[in-house]
Amino acid sequence: MGASKGQKLSGMQRQVLSLYRGFLRAARLKPTEDRRQIESIVSAEFRRNSKQVDRKNFLYIEYLLRRGKKQLDQLKSPDTIGLSSCNVSSSKKKC
Amino acid sequence: MALRAAVLRHIRLPVQTLTPNASRAPSQLSLLRLFSSHDDHLTKEEVIDRVLDVVKSFPKVDPSKVTPDVHFQKDLGLDSLDNVEIVMALEEEFKLEIPDKEADKIDSCNLAIEYIYNHPMAG
Repeated sequence: MGASKGQKLSGMQRQVLSLYRGFLRAARLKPTEDRRQIESIVSAEFRRNSKQVDRKNFLYIEYLLRRGKKQLDQLKSPDTIGLSSCNVSSSKKKC
Repeated sequence: MALRAAVLRHIRLPVQTLTPNASRAPSQLSLLRLFSSHDDHLTKEEVIDRVLDVVKSFPKVDPSKVTPDVHFQKDLGLDSLDNVEIVMALEEEFKLEIPDKEADKIDSCNLAIEYIYNHPMAG
């Protein structure tokens, strides 16, 4: 998607940043060690997609946003302690 | 009895002085500001120092480049995801929750300092 350099953000970019913020907020509620691990996985995933996904590929970005929101809901559950239990990692396999 | 009267007078005094203020307050927000001024509110210098410390400690930032006037992305070579991380780190430092709409606007040390300094709950 190309990380933006300070220009005005599009609505879709704002949604992505808002999702990223949501993940970081959810991570705060986990124990410190899990939190660091979650943060590094989430950060790597967002950065990987920001480099690999064409910024005009709206359909795919919308799909990623929807998938991300579902994963965020899973992460928010107090039963989820880490990201090993959901499929945020860079591979696409379900776990 | 004299003691009781003295105590009661002491208890009543602050309430009486507060009531006219509260009824004059036009909105909830200014009421909050009124309360926040009771404890020692952050000074501008303290906000500046702590904001700069948070930005300097961000792994990708060269601490020698950080001044109150730097723009996170134009001057420090950060991207919009780093920007989100810095604003989140500031939230934790000052025990705030900054709503998305506001957080999206904070893209420089100056804007962060202004926002936090003017926030009644910043601690």
